[in-house]
Amino acid sequence: MDHLGAFLGHFHPVLVHLPIGILLLLGALELAGLLSRARAFAWLPALTGGQRTLILALGACSSIIVAALGWLLAHGGDYDSALVHRHQLLGICAACACLAALAVHRWGSLYALALASSLALVVMAGHAGGKITHGSDYLTSRMPPALARVLGIAPPPEARKAAVGFERAVVFADAVGPILRDRCASCHGPAKGNGGLRLDSWELLSKGGKHGPVIKPGDLAASPLVLRIDLPSDAKEHMPPRGKPQLSDDELTVLEWWVGAGAPRDGAVAGLDLPPIVAGILEERLGGEATPPPDRAATLAQAARVAGELGIIVRPLSPVGPWIEVNARPAGRAFGDRELGLLAPVAPAIRWLDLGGTSVTDDGLAALAAMHGLERLHLDQTRIADPGLVRLSSLRQMEYLNLRGTAVTDAGMGALRALPRLRSLYLWQTAVTPAASRALGEALVDKRRIARWKSEQAELGRRIGAERFEGNTGESLNLDTKPAEAAAAGPASPPKVN
Amino acid sequence: MNPPFDPDFMRLRQLEWSRRTFLGKSAQALGALALGSLVNPRLLSGTPPAGVPEGGRWPGILASPHFPPRAKRVIHLYMAGGPSHVDLFDPKPELNRLHGQPFPASFTNGQQLAQLQNTKLLARGSSFGFTRCGLSGQVISDLLPFTQQIADDICIVRSMHTEQINHDPAHAFMNAGSMVKGRPSMGSWLLYGLGAETENLPGYVVLMSRGPSGGEQPVSARQWSAGFLPSRFQGVQFQSKGVPVHYVGNPDGVCQSTQRQVIDEIARLNGFHEEETLDPEVRTRIAQYELAFKMQTSVPDLTDMSGEPESIRQMYGVKEPGDGSFASNCLLARRLAERGVRFIQLYHRGWDQHGNLDNDIKDVCKRVDQPSAALVKDLKQRGLLDDTLILWGGEFGRTPMGQGTGRDHHINAFSVWMAGGGIRGGLSWGSSDELGYRHLEDGQEMHVHDLHATMLASFGIDHERLIYRFQGRDFRLTDVHGKVAKGIFT
Repeated sequence: MDHLGAFLGHFHPVLVHLPIGILLLLGALELAGLLSRARAFAWLPALTGGQRTLILALGACSSIIVAALGWLLAHGGDYDSALVHRHQLLGICAACACLAALAVHRWGSLYALALASSLALVVMAGHAGGKITHGSDYLTSRMPPALARVLGIAPPPEARKAAVGFERAVVFADAVGPILRDRCASCHGPAKGNGGLRLDSWELLSKGGKHGPVIKPGDLAASPLVLRIDLPSDAKEHMPPRGKPQLSDDELTVLEWWVGAGAPRDGAVAGLDLPPIVAGILEERLGGEATPPPDRAATLAQAARVAGELGIIVRPLSPVGPWIEVNARPAGRAFGDRELGLLAPVAPAIRWLDLGGTSVTDDGLAALAAMHGLERLHLDQTRIADPGLVRLSSLRQMEYLNLRGTAVTDAGMGALRALPRLRSLYLWQTAVTPAASRALGEALVDKRRIARWKSEQAELGRRIGAERFEGNTGESLNLDTKPAEAAAAGPASPPKVN
Repeated sequence: MNPPFDPDFMRLRQLEWSRRTFLGKSAQALGALALGSLVNPRLLSGTPPAGVPEGGRWPGILASPHFPPRAKRVIHLYMAGGPSHVDLFDPKPELNRLHGQPFPASFTNGQQLAQLQNTKLLARGSSFGFTRCGLSGQVISDLLPFTQQIADDICIVRSMHTEQINHDPAHAFMNAGSMVKGRPSMGSWLLYGLGAETENLPGYVVLMSRGPSGGEQPVSARQWSAGFLPSRFQGVQFQSKGVPVHYVGNPDGVCQSTQRQVIDEIARLNGFHEEETLDPEVRTRIAQYELAFKMQTSVPDLTDMSGEPESIRQMYGVKEPGDGSFASNCLLARRLAERGVRFIQLYHRGWDQHGNLDNDIKDVCKRVDQPSAALVKDLKQRGLLDDTLILWGGEFGRTPMGQGTGRDHHINAFSVWMAGGGIRGGLSWGSSDELGYRHLEDGQEMHVHDLHATMLASFGIDHERLIYRFQGRDFRLTDVHGKVAKGIFT
């Protein structure tokens, strides 16, 4: 019986729009009928008695059915009880008012009163229902701050996030809280509080849910909060449930770091000893001193002038943004520190910079500090040595660095640990030893993330193994005959020549 | 090249315009300009695309890419003649089982065949073993032991198909997306769109090599023609044997400064000619003189292999640089790539194995396998593979049906591999049916047009928006076709 009730209850959100629509339409038609008495609006239609009766009857019936379905849903669901109670009361009142209007619809002024009150109740009940599913700040969370001030509503929390920046961010309020609010609080927040757990504040989180605490500070293995997020996505216990927005890899990394670091609440993020990966993610999420991107047209005009002057190649990297690629390689040794300095006006727009084979020196690389957006940098076959690498440490966006054929050594590798996004590093024809480059790789790799990928891969493998491949490709035939790594598909002896 | 029209006649025609025509044309032109400036605000602002020194390097017609680019250059290792996919990349146990028996008619009924037309069709299995290689487990023939080592860097496409079954039109189709003469080849399109990153060398260089034995079809120079695009975008063939470019040195008694004066004077005279005739080909001529002058210094530097260590030569298997071998060409290709050449095409002839396939394919694999793999490895260690797109393949494949001791031309399925330029290494893309006869329509099929669209996409170019209007019609490399294989990129 419970199952049937739950099944029927789930139709409440679908059918609820029916009485709302019918009653609002009735209100509009009655209004038109009133107006049509005035000469200017004589063209408007007026309802006949029979039509009124029919529409009211439909509205009353559907509102009673929907109220009943709503009761079934509230009975089986895991919702915030205060909100549900309010919605339930308003909904039942609306249905009653509708019935009353049907009963009195032959007596003019009494009918008007009943219809007006049922309309008001329908709107209020609808709004209360909306709060349950979408959260209580659903209408105001994206409200422009100016309007919110006029209406006396607290500004949405996003406004704070944008304003702080990495330097002044507080651990829970700015770094961790927003993740939980975005991904968890729609079910574990003020509106629902599923499982008796709320994750919208540090205090409530540390209190835990009805099954006990969700984190053990400093111990990931004993913290269900991260463990359940970490489960394979098709596992029953996995959170957020299937179909809900999932945490990104970056968000999970931050959350795991936070729990591992003892789940601190106060204190500045910047003051903590962050692993480079976490620092990179948080810097990106929280933003540094917000510098607006340079203007595209001005940048491109500037770039064209510099390129013509220096005999280098500058191209935009996208059809919209100001981001550019600068290739100084064609200028060769004629391009040195002075020329690199001349790129200053377009520095913030440079994403790719090729200085390979030029005569830039370690000191000249000071000019790179202004290129915050730099993602790819070629310094191969230059006179760069270890002191130059220190000057790269502020380039947090760097993904690709080519140091082939330079004088860098193991000692310089330490400075590269400050580059959280570095993915490709070329060290051929340098004195750097394999051990040093491996150590750098270890420091820059998020091992938990790789472990997650591996488990995802294993999960995928299991799923694929369970299904049958249908394609008649040579590969699958090959797999069938010999699954070993080095299966020979060809015949043992050459085929007969015909 | 002769001017396409008589200059005197043109001048007369310009004088012939009546007042009515003039006013009508002016109004139309103003309207078109106004609309054009709405669509493209740069049109009337008078600024050339970023980084254009006036009258210097061609910066490309595209002021900015259509989406973020990955590749900056292409090295096309062109296996001319049609390598046998069922012997190299696409193992077919079912074909081996059917070996010597009649080929199922359900596959071949009503299909176009080249030399096997009206003969009894017999299945022909492969004589060669295949191995799963690398972490990706890609399957590669034991004929290609060096390519097996780079399995995790290359993406093998087994669902290629084309429309032309004979060599010359099929080459044209692979190069220009059409068998019709006069269409620009893909290298020319790229140069037109993006320009090159060097002014000292041609932006599109072609090298040719061959084996000692037969099975070689001629490859005509129209394969790297610029077609209807200005001829400055055509491929320039370097000699692979001896000096790549003849007569780069000055004759006795002429020094570079004298030469410079001569070139400048010729450019001035050509400029007069251009003003008179309005012929864009004169501009090409001026540019070619300038390029030739610059090549007098850049080519000796390019071909000076004394800086290449012995280990690199051994890696490629180069016996003697400039000996005309594919290995020597691969080494030169890497040097061209380092110098900013946009499109490098290395033809190796000798894959047209209609007979004696089992012996000939071993020979040609021996010549091609090691240098191809060495090129990938060498670019990788230099950090150049990230933005260099390598394409290895022929104009078509070879039949799973035997032709005596060989195989005939086959267009319904063949294999190529790609590497670098944002292509996902270790990926197998597309498949053919169980006999290697036809590509499967599984969403990963790759027509030549799709290959072109994908290649342009790796340069950040939307193949539907690189257009040239010629004789009243808009032309594209992919004509009205082409689908980007998005899943092939990282």
